[in-house]
Amino acid sequence: MASSATSTIYTEVIEDVIDKVRDEFINNGGPGETVLSELQGLWEKKLMQAGVLSGPIVRSSANKQLVPGGLTPVHDLNVPYEGTEEYETPTAEILFPPTPLQTPMQTPLPGSARTPLPGNVQTPLPGSVDNSSMYNIPTGSSSDYPTPVSDAGGSTDVKAGRPSHFMQSPSPLMHQRPPLDVNVAYVEGRDEVDRGASHQTLTQDFFMSSGKRKRGDFAPKYNNGGFIPQQDGAVDSASEVSQGNNPHGRCDTITTKNREILARVSRSYVMKIPQVDGPIPDPYDDMLSTPNIYNYQGVANEDYNIASTPAPNDLQASTPAVVSQNDDVDDDDDEPLNEDDDDDEDLDGVDQGEELNTQHLILAQFDKVTRTKSRWKCTLKDGVMHINNRDILFNKATGEFEF
Amino acid sequence: MATFELYRRSTIGMCLTETLDDMVQNGTLSPELAFQVLVQFDKSMTEALDTKVKSKVSIKGHLHTYRFCDNVWTFILQDAMFKNEETQENVGRVKIVACDSKLLTQ
Repeated sequence: MASSATSTIYTEVIEDVIDKVRDEFINNGGPGETVLSELQGLWEKKLMQAGVLSGPIVRSSANKQLVPGGLTPVHDLNVPYEGTEEYETPTAEILFPPTPLQTPMQTPLPGSARTPLPGNVQTPLPGSVDNSSMYNIPTGSSSDYPTPVSDAGGSTDVKAGRPSHFMQSPSPLMHQRPPLDVNVAYVEGRDEVDRGASHQTLTQDFFMSSGKRKRGDFAPKYNNGGFIPQQDGAVDSASEVSQGNNPHGRCDTITTKNREILARVSRSYVMKIPQVDGPIPDPYDDMLSTPNIYNYQGVANEDYNIASTPAPNDLQASTPAVVSQNDDVDDDDDEPLNEDDDDDEDLDGVDQGEELNTQHLILAQFDKVTRTKSRWKCTLKDGVMHINNRDILFNKATGEFEF
Repeated sequence: MATFELYRRSTIGMCLTETLDDMVQNGTLSPELAFQVLVQFDKSMTEALDTKVKSKVSIKGHLHTYRFCDNVWTFILQDAMFKNEETQENVGRVKIVACDSKLLTQ
């Protein structure tokens, strides 16, 4: 079977790696042969657990490795898993006496130069699941890795900071991604939606006077007005509108909790709004008074329903009726651009989320990718496939896909 | 020699990364050394795939998503079929990540 071939090659790769880093481990105050064997043992053990390495091959290879290493490594190899805690802790102390002393100091350290370190090393692990998209880009990751090393500079520092970083890194890493600016963007949008929704009546009055007069001219102007805020995001115009009506001050101080409350409140408003709007015969006025808000919701509605972002969903759920009224209006030109951008990201995220569940992955290099109409052809080489829980390696692959 | 970090996401790469992580966490290994091991893995893996693997595979399927970004192609296939000399595998959904092979020769 292919898996045995894979297993053979994996074994060779392991040996090759171990061989070639041996110098680094033994010389220059490296941790020594013992640690190297431990590394190999753990690595192979994990691979066997993953079902990728077949047991016997590993053992034979391990034995080969052990011969040069002498007898001591044998113990390490056999012990690795259970032994890790008992075994390694003392070793670490012996090898790096400073470690215990510095342990307390670690907490402050990670904040500055340290953060990159753990992040990089660990990216692959959690990243494999979460950050797979980021990881796709070799440029990005390659630049990530070097950075820490240069940052690390003195080995002592790094050693000191080491454990804590690694403990901490996962959480910052995990947190860094989801919150992002995207949320902020939505928060703003949300606020404005709230404002807009809750103060819609006022807004309408405000605008109706001017809007009705120049209706014909005003619409294009308004579009321009909507354009200017592009710098600040289309939303700005909405906030200006609401500013006039006072809520702005309130909104500035809104905290997340408040927002939720507001959202609820606004929802209740929204529930009433259609009734309020209903009697007004001219939908045009509605649109004039709060075009961005409506557009925002309109666009958001489609996409957010797909996306998993919880907060926006609430809002959208409450406003579909309003949105439908403005379907005909097309001054969205500018706003949708912005929001689509965000939404694309969102969708991507969702897509990746689905991909997470996909255990099947092919990593390869491409020689050529061509497309004729909807037929895609590609030639890949030097690939690793993980399919149906088996690893299959290939030298060449041809793909024919129908889009 | 240029290498890709691409293969770190493979099973063998992930196992190595986990191992290194563990060992760095409990202080057995310094992060720099762990990093060097990873870089060596990149080299060894790329070389092994290039020189030791001979098999060919053909892939067919419905292309659900394609993306070309930073010289990396990403395909998501649905109902994909993989054939090599020995076996045939069917998969409901598979992701292909491919770096530009030309980058290695530069």
